[in-house]
Amino acid sequence: MERAQGGDIDTQLLEPVLKTGWPWFVTVFIAGLVFLGAIGAFGYQLYWGLGVWGIKRPVFWAFDITNFVFWIGISHAGTLISAILRVTGAEWRRPVTRCAEAITVFALMIGALFPIIHLGKPWLFYWLIPYPNVRGLWPNFRSPLAWDFFAINTYLLGSIIYLYLPLIPDLALLRDKSRGKRRRGVYALLSLGWRGTELQWDRLERAVRVMAVIIIPVAVSVHTIVSWDFAMAIRPMWHSTIFGPYFVAGAIFSGIAALILAMAVIRRVFHLEGYLRPVHFNNLGLLLVTMSLIWFYFTFAEYLTTWYGNQPEEMAVFLSKVTGSYAPLFWTMVAGCFLIPVPILAFKRSIKATVIASVAVVVGMYIERFLIIVPTLSHPRLSYNWSTYSPTWVEVMLTIGPFAYFVILYAVFVKLFPIIAVWEYKEGLRLEGRNLEIGSSAAATAD
Amino acid sequence: MSKTEKNPESIGTRLKTAEEATRAVEELLRQGVPRDCIEVQSSEPIHFSGAAAASHKKSWIWLFGIAGGIVGALAAVLLTVWTSRRVNLVTGGMPIASPWPLGVIVFEMTALGAILFSVVRMIFEARLGRRRSDDDEAALAEGDIVVRRV
Repeated sequence: MERAQGGDIDTQLLEPVLKTGWPWFVTVFIAGLVFLGAIGAFGYQLYWGLGVWGIKRPVFWAFDITNFVFWIGISHAGTLISAILRVTGAEWRRPVTRCAEAITVFALMIGALFPIIHLGKPWLFYWLIPYPNVRGLWPNFRSPLAWDFFAINTYLLGSIIYLYLPLIPDLALLRDKSRGKRRRGVYALLSLGWRGTELQWDRLERAVRVMAVIIIPVAVSVHTIVSWDFAMAIRPMWHSTIFGPYFVAGAIFSGIAALILAMAVIRRVFHLEGYLRPVHFNNLGLLLVTMSLIWFYFTFAEYLTTWYGNQPEEMAVFLSKVTGSYAPLFWTMVAGCFLIPVPILAFKRSIKATVIASVAVVVGMYIERFLIIVPTLSHPRLSYNWSTYSPTWVEVMLTIGPFAYFVILYAVFVKLFPIIAVWEYKEGLRLEGRNLEIGSSAAATAD
Repeated sequence: MSKTEKNPESIGTRLKTAEEATRAVEELLRQGVPRDCIEVQSSEPIHFSGAAAASHKKSWIWLFGIAGGIVGALAAVLLTVWTSRRVNLVTGGMPIASPWPLGVIVFEMTALGAILFSVVRMIFEARLGRRRSDDDEAALAEGDIVVRRV
């Protein structure tokens, strides 16, 4: 596969922004219909209350919190991976970073919705915010749910800034290339008067480096804190010291898979084959197989410790997963997260292979989140209280809808901003000595 | 090489490659123009080396990041300890402001402070958010490099 086929790099990378083809409208329309279905389900739930969900004693967290954990995990696709690649100076990152960073922002926005939906009275969500209110109520800072509030908002704000900073020069490019006064005006506003002086480039690069260093521990903390929502409770198979790193590893794992899928769709739909090349899928495939092994290691350590301890309460949950009613899901998870991706990616990391492996991983990791939450809740310590759980159509719609919402958000983003950082890509070419001419029309040579 | 006609006060020379830009900067330096008075604009970062290397003022972005972290941490301590003490919870002798959970919030707000201060400082140092009057935006959009004496 040849890289960036000659011609005008600016034109190729800005084309999705400056021209809108019918596939874009069809995609947004279909996703919009699904999303409207989810809105309808949400309205139905608001009217009738949370009783329309399948949750009942003792399973009070189910699909909703599964979705929360899953989407927060997916958010690790972007900022964290992008920051690590920047800090380590991985040059192949250049066409990948913005695709990834956008995933983070949208996944976080979606993930953060679920605790609010779960409140039952979402219009009272502001009670989570620490402010001196007249009721004398304060958030309980000892609660991991309050930690979530701080962690997710810090990560969301940091990720938006981390996405925005490298976008500024491209916004200036769009300002100068766009037609239409209104459009130019919006880009001019967003580009903050960027002129491309040496000073501005120097400060931008410094700020991005600083942000990359700060954002890595924040990203790690976010999913660690999400894991503590569970680990701080003295529940069977939740009260575990490895839950923090286990969740972080799982988040990066599912995040890379989501990134591969997003890149595969983008390169096909927007004809960016010369930019998102097999080498990127190969490298991300290597990361994916590494994370698959790490995930298996953590899972094995967790389950072996439980089995070896042989405590009745823990074993009830353990057996329900491995041989009981949740066994089909459990073994699907093992297949999706380990048995399918590892053999595929160990030998072949083509685009097709990495996409197949990524689909398996995303499905497997969604099931993993479900299996962490529901079997433990349905098997409390006192066995008289054991129960089962099955979702209603409302929960299913509220699970499918956010995927459609994600597609809409991503499609709109691609429509408004270049999904590949133009300046970073061109700088990468020049640093490799492939493109001595700075100009946009400089042809990138073939590999 | 062609000179801009719109703004004769500042000599803006449009160039195609980094090498040409380097030669132009070196030529200006040979003519006795201080490096601080030479401005190079481009659509992607160019890192000149040797005599042509830019001499920017020292950046304080890192330091502001650290300062922001300290401010964020202090704000978190104030928020958590003050609000915890304000509610007269019965804790059975346990500390009302427990350091471990509050430490989590302090960590997050430290990062938040560092991020915000760094970005604000970057915007200030890069002189962003100011009204621009640039005649060379079309040239930059086409990928030219503009070297001018300011």
